[in-house]
Amino acid sequence: MISSRWTPFLFLAPALAGLLIFRLTPILVAVGGSLSGVSLMGELRYVGLENFEYLADDPEFWESLRTTLYFNLLINPIQLAVAFALALLVFRPLPGVWFYRTLLVLPMAVSTGISAVLFGLFLDGNLGPMNGFLEWIGIGAQPFHRSHDQALYTLIGIATWKGAGYWMLFLLAGLYSIPSTVYEAATIDGANGWQRFRYVTLPLMRKPMAFVLVADTAINFLFFAPVYILTSGGPSGSTSVLMFQAYRAAFTFSDIGRSLAISTVLLGIIAIIVVLEFRFMRSPEEAK
Amino acid sequence: MDNPFQKPHVLMLRYGLLSILAFIVVFPLVWLALASVRPQNEIFQPVSDFGWNTFIPSRFTLDNYRTLLNGDFPLAVKNSTFVALTTVLFGVVVNALAGFAFAVFDFRGKNLLFLLVIVSFMMPFEAIVLPLYVMIRAFGWANSYQALIVPEIANGMVIFLFRQFFASIPRDFYEAARVDGASWFYIFARIAMPLSWPTIATSGLMLFLAQWDSFFWPVVAASDSAYAVVQVAIARNINFEQNDWGGLFASTNLAILLGTIPFLLIQRFYVRTLISGGIK
Repeated sequence: MISSRWTPFLFLAPALAGLLIFRLTPILVAVGGSLSGVSLMGELRYVGLENFEYLADDPEFWESLRTTLYFNLLINPIQLAVAFALALLVFRPLPGVWFYRTLLVLPMAVSTGISAVLFGLFLDGNLGPMNGFLEWIGIGAQPFHRSHDQALYTLIGIATWKGAGYWMLFLLAGLYSIPSTVYEAATIDGANGWQRFRYVTLPLMRKPMAFVLVADTAINFLFFAPVYILTSGGPSGSTSVLMFQAYRAAFTFSDIGRSLAISTVLLGIIAIIVVLEFRFMRSPEEAK
Repeated sequence: MDNPFQKPHVLMLRYGLLSILAFIVVFPLVWLALASVRPQNEIFQPVSDFGWNTFIPSRFTLDNYRTLLNGDFPLAVKNSTFVALTTVLFGVVVNALAGFAFAVFDFRGKNLLFLLVIVSFMMPFEAIVLPLYVMIRAFGWANSYQALIVPEIANGMVIFLFRQFFASIPRDFYEAARVDGASWFYIFARIAMPLSWPTIATSGLMLFLAQWDSFFWPVVAASDSAYAVVQVAIARNINFEQNDWGGLFASTNLAILLGTIPFLLIQRFYVRTLISGGIK
């Protein structure tokens, strides 16, 4: 192995400085800031767990936590299932399949904020064609993100439109890594298509599927842009997820302590998810 | 051979399902593109009028795009382009250097530092947006290009990709150059980097998409319209009652094209790098 004493650190310095300052330090700032408050004189002071006590007594926080959990309980399995179905459909060779694959991953390149705007227009009763279509086939116009009952599901639909193709790629990578000899052996043993899927594909896909589920969960716990753009947390709090609460605490109510306390709660959830992710991911040394 | 995927009805089913799914993905995009080239007075679509006219403009016009030129949109495109290109340029170099170090050198604390890299890409950036904002404000960077660019340069995923690629080159290769008297920096810049262009393309696209996709950070860190990036400028317009819907259609369509065109050009490498086990 090649070794020189200082060279490696010269190569590493800019990137590591970036990660330490802009990824690691903010975690400490979140925790530190959540333990402090701003006094009437404008000074920062240590307040202990006061911010968390306020949160614990605040029904709006609990409601928001419940909304966030419910949102995640729905969206993550849905995205995993859709992504897996897409991966299975484009996996086997088929003339023109690359064309479909390209179309399916296209929303990756449509910024999340832009896709929220796109669907805001598409689903609008006066500007978009969706409600006209629903009337035409006899279902009738729907309020979508403008109603208490449909807003959260509309956001789930938009996020799935945007995200499924991306997660499909990871599952596709998993499918390609299953050696074809395993399928051949199963065929020789007399397994039919369904049995090969059930007893070969599914068990061997457990790891990539767990990875996608966990990584997707980390992202969806921090869901923000479509809420900000389309619903502002409403109607009547039905889409007020934690990240939006943290934003509002800081920018509507100028309560940085509360905002950082919610951020800390979210970082705690993310920490648990990262630990899970480590258990499902192969160690980096094995990856190549 | 009994391959269920080759039976004609299964083939038909696959094409059918793929076509339906591709339609769901592409249709809203096509609708928007068509809506953006129709005259302003045709934009409102009474629900009861559903038919071909809902989609096909009576006359093709670029008026909606022309009015954009006089508004804030050109500035937002300029901001986005500058921010994305600068991030890609610095990001590729900075992260490739780090990836090279992890792949080629042995040093104290290597495993611990690599763990930092892995954790940094498993923790989504949005998790630290608010505390990072507190820091940036203390630096005096609020509403500036630095705020948008500098925090996004170091990227754990890109370091990881470069490390994977550089580790796949036989070590003898580097050592031979070393014996010939080449400096490590020369080896990196003149030997390793030119070999790694698929990884450069993939990482460049990844850094571009990260900037392109980010919304929470620019809304928080650079909300001033002088520094608004495309997605922020557009999102601001849908929140207000306005009369230039045509302009909103046109700007949204342009924003989609600005993201999807580079993506379509490079996605081949990107998809291949992801699938070939770069990240699993």
